[in-house]
Amino acid sequence: MNAVLSLLPQTLRSRESLIRLIVLLLAVALMVFGLLMPLLTMLIKSLQNRAGDFIGLANFAEYFQTPALANSIFQSLFVAFFSTAIVVSLAFLCAYGITRTCMPGKRAFRLLAILPILAPSLLPAISLVYLFGNQGWFRDVLMGQSIYGPIGIVMGMSFWIFPHALMILTTALSNSDARLYEAAEALGTPKWRTFLTITLPGVRYGLISCAFVVFTLAITDFGVPKIIGGQYSVLATDVYRQVVGQQNFQMGSVVSVILLLPAVISFIVDRVIQRRQVAQLSARAVPWQPAPQPLRDGVFTLICYSVAGIILLVIGTAIYASLVQFWPYNLSITLDHYGFDGLAGGGWPAWFNSLKLAFSVAVIGTLVVFFNAWLIEKTEGYAPLRQGLHFLAMLPMAVPGMVLGLAYIFFFNQAGNPFNWLYGTLAILVLNTLVHFYTVCHLTSVTALKQLDPEFEAVGASLKVPFWTTFWRVTLPVSLPAVLDISVYLFVNAMTTVSAVVFLYNSDTRLASVAVLHLDEAGYFASAAAMAVLIFFTSLVVKLLHALLTHVVLTRAQRWRLTS
Amino acid sequence: MQSLTAALSPDVYTNTSASQPHLSIAGLTKQFGDFTALKQIDLTIQEGELVCFLGPSGCGKTTLLRAIAGLAPQSSGSIVQRGREVSALPPQARDFGIVFQSYALFPNLTVYDNVAYGLRNQRQDRQQIRTRVAELLSLMELTGSEGKYPAALSGGQQQRVALARALATEPGLLLLDEPLSALDARVRVHLRSQMKALQRRLGVTTVMVTHDQEEALTMADRIVVMNHGVIEQVGTPAEIYQYPASEFVATFVGSMNLMDVTSKSAGSWQLGRQQLICPKSFSEAPSGHARLAVRPEAVTLSKSQEGLQADVANVEFLGAFLRVHLHLEGCDQPILADISSRDAQAISLDVNQRVSMCFPVEAMRLYPAGGSAA
Repeated sequence: MNAVLSLLPQTLRSRESLIRLIVLLLAVALMVFGLLMPLLTMLIKSLQNRAGDFIGLANFAEYFQTPALANSIFQSLFVAFFSTAIVVSLAFLCAYGITRTCMPGKRAFRLLAILPILAPSLLPAISLVYLFGNQGWFRDVLMGQSIYGPIGIVMGMSFWIFPHALMILTTALSNSDARLYEAAEALGTPKWRTFLTITLPGVRYGLISCAFVVFTLAITDFGVPKIIGGQYSVLATDVYRQVVGQQNFQMGSVVSVILLLPAVISFIVDRVIQRRQVAQLSARAVPWQPAPQPLRDGVFTLICYSVAGIILLVIGTAIYASLVQFWPYNLSITLDHYGFDGLAGGGWPAWFNSLKLAFSVAVIGTLVVFFNAWLIEKTEGYAPLRQGLHFLAMLPMAVPGMVLGLAYIFFFNQAGNPFNWLYGTLAILVLNTLVHFYTVCHLTSVTALKQLDPEFEAVGASLKVPFWTTFWRVTLPVSLPAVLDISVYLFVNAMTTVSAVVFLYNSDTRLASVAVLHLDEAGYFASAAAMAVLIFFTSLVVKLLHALLTHVVLTRAQRWRLTS
Repeated sequence: MQSLTAALSPDVYTNTSASQPHLSIAGLTKQFGDFTALKQIDLTIQEGELVCFLGPSGCGKTTLLRAIAGLAPQSSGSIVQRGREVSALPPQARDFGIVFQSYALFPNLTVYDNVAYGLRNQRQDRQQIRTRVAELLSLMELTGSEGKYPAALSGGQQQRVALARALATEPGLLLLDEPLSALDARVRVHLRSQMKALQRRLGVTTVMVTHDQEEALTMADRIVVMNHGVIEQVGTPAEIYQYPASEFVATFVGSMNLMDVTSKSAGSWQLGRQQLICPKSFSEAPSGHARLAVRPEAVTLSKSQEGLQADVANVEFLGAFLRVHLHLEGCDQPILADISSRDAQAISLDVNQRVSMCFPVEAMRLYPAGGSAA
């Protein structure tokens, strides 16, 4: 009797948990084949000679004995340090202006400050050439120094990385406890001491985390040094030069391993700091509200809007450059450069490919990332698998795009790899882009899921509703704002990224961002600018649509959401 | 001794109901790593009764509830529901409805959709679902709130929606995890009696977890008192209150005087320097040290010269009664006595006055010294 009765539930049980197990295994497989195996293959490659024989660290020895190569390490560190110093201090001032002063037009400034993220890092580099190049408007400002080199690299990177730093520091600075400031004021503490003893310690983790994120972005960026670096080589451009220029895959993988190190170190430091930060602010903290102070507010308005002005100038220059007939000799306005006919790079089809890639990554990626995060965060059982998947989801942040792209060549182009058919398709670009930007999306999902009632799934189970129904009817709709954030993040990054995909496209799957690179290499500067501007506006339109959609979703949800 | 009580009490119950138990738990143990949350739990729950798991936070009562639901499967032991072995089944395959402390109402669904959530999955037709939801909402006095979202409801209303949702699929067992603790005191007292009446009317077997002894005493048919992952006592509210099986139960439920007593020969116990008049059962306890328990309201005070002589240390006025703090010569702990205002007038209670204190024989309980070993 018992056996008969328990037969049906047993199948029910095995069906639901079997499905969960299969999905978890698929997710782990995705990260293993999309991240771990390629990286492993690349590590092995760096220990082999051209014939494929194991030669230990001989490649590394050769690398360090070749000054032209080893020099790049110091040059990379040099530009990364400078960019970090500039970006962190500027972003701190602007974030302070947004959170701690009564400067006017905060929302407008925040919107303007986010713009650089919507463009590929190639765009500021192109603009800088127009502004400070041999025929640039502000050439004299450099006092004889060339923009092609460290100066240009630092300027271009600072522009492109600024929004990332601003977002982190704005978040850090908006966590304030008014009670501490009131206590300081009651004790008659001078303003500068309040700043040193309350404000700075309060954001120290945010500052450190920000510095490491900026440093990683700077040392791994490929677009800016590629366009404006001139003879000044850095690690990211070395990888490209070794692989694409000299077909020296072994040396390419050696440089990649070296490029992996600073990224991995800053990733670990960042993780450790994030863990410490958790209990910093008590739940009873009262947010601090700034009171108007004309002098301070005026100074910060000036700083912030100068920064916004520079951002607009750089983007405006790229737009202008793309519209001018033949700069600087014929300044009449034309749309000719948007034709891309017969030029390098692939033209409009490349743009369509980019759109296809960005849409695919946004749709597939969002579902995959969010569902996996849900499995990790909200289901019982298979604890080792879930923890393993979480660890794998954190890893991509430590892998620079150039490294991931090269690793994909090695892994997927191997003879005998069952996934070999992926090579040269749009699918490999989707996979690569998804894995490349996985971590931030994963963290966003986890944060959103942690805010939900932990018992939703238990209630669903007690009412005999399968887990996917509860996921579809409750979890997903309630998390919709976060889901939309993830999808637009993936879209914009897929649209603008160059570093990983530059190794992976073929003649049918050229991408707009890569086209910018090729147009620039071939000397079609105006068309390169045009393509970069096209990418920028595509991202901008999608971002605006996202804002609109989020607004609609939140207004709809207003009916049931407690907070607006 | 504890497991003895747990095993015995259901027998008392079967005499009256004479049906097979709804739920039988045997040897249930739950480990979280090195920590043992539940140790060898044996418990039987009868058809139609309301059982409260009562204990301080961390005693394992919620873990036991979640094990019954299959949400936190036990490490070992078995659970049999209506003769069906459910120990290894996932929550979906068990027969229960649950109301959580947070209610876990789906915020994006209306009251109607929340209550209908489990019904829709049973592929009932729309009309049937509509009738059932309407029936439940009127039962919960929520008619008219169908289209509202949970955020627009008061705490008490949310709690009733959660209850309606849990009852919608007509589960054989209703599990309530601190269902009233998120409400303010006044609403809580009101809902207590309402929920009890509803449970009696529907006759649904119910297990409720609470840390509030008053809630347990007023609502439960039987109370399971838990501490440190073991069951300390199972019994009706009156049994638990009058005959606490251990020092822990004695102190956790109601207030209790606990005094160190010593014995030099069998059956003769001393409190401080004074001899006690003890119940016969005390003579069975081994001589040495023990703990004597008497409820403050059982203590009587008089002006006579007989009984224990104590000094009044302090008198608190608590409205319906006075709480008298007494100091007994040779005894460190103050002894509390709750005296009605009328009785207090008969003996004028001034500080430092000597009074005669008497413990009724039937109200005295003796526990091993050093607290309950468990």
